[in-house]
Amino acid sequence: MSKAPPITNRVREWREAHGGISQAALGAAIGVTRHTIIAIEQGRYSPSLESAFRIARVFGVGVEDVFGWESG
Amino acid sequence: MSFREKSAWVMALLTGVAGLWYFEKLVALSSSLAETPAPLGLVLRYCIGVVVVSVIAQIGLAVMTPEDADAPADERERAALRRAGSWSGDVLAMGILSALAWFVARGDGNLLFHMVFASLIVAQICQYLLQAVLLRRGA
Repeated sequence: MSKAPPITNRVREWREAHGGISQAALGAAIGVTRHTIIAIEQGRYSPSLESAFRIARVFGVGVEDVFGWESG
Repeated sequence: MSFREKSAWVMALLTGVAGLWYFEKLVALSSSLAETPAPLGLVLRYCIGVVVVSVIAQIGLAVMTPEDADAPADERERAALRRAGSWSGDVLAMGILSALAWFVARGDGNLLFHMVFASLIVAQICQYLLQAVLLRRGA
């Protein structure tokens, strides 16, 4: 099995900063399931570029504010 | 656990149990598979049984979580299903090639049938197990 991708994210922080929007609501807003949002938050899944942009748009920030690259 | 993951576990279990049932019946027909021609009645019972029980199981799962059952697969789920399909295809190909090699070496058509059918069952079980694991893991 492959190791977790080196992509970090602050989806949970942004959800909490936006009034605690639920994982299900965020998933519905961008067209994925709640389980996929959970997998993204836990770093088990890296979303497609399109979904990354959609998530960032929900929070009204740039994609680089939500996702990052774990160097080293 | 998502609907698709539950469905994959249930189908893996169901296909595994049905496969064991099939081969138990097959072995009971004769002590040597090479002497046992394709048991079409048994194959038919296996296929119909798997289809009927699968439909009942899927309906049961869908009744428990109707919203999840209606929702189309998202990008993560599609990736997991695609990868599981690809890897189980490799398992099937290996089984078929082994059966063909055995047939070329021994010229035993009965065994060729049994090995190909077994490959189909094993590949199907692998597909469901891989789906479940990949969906759990994150794909």
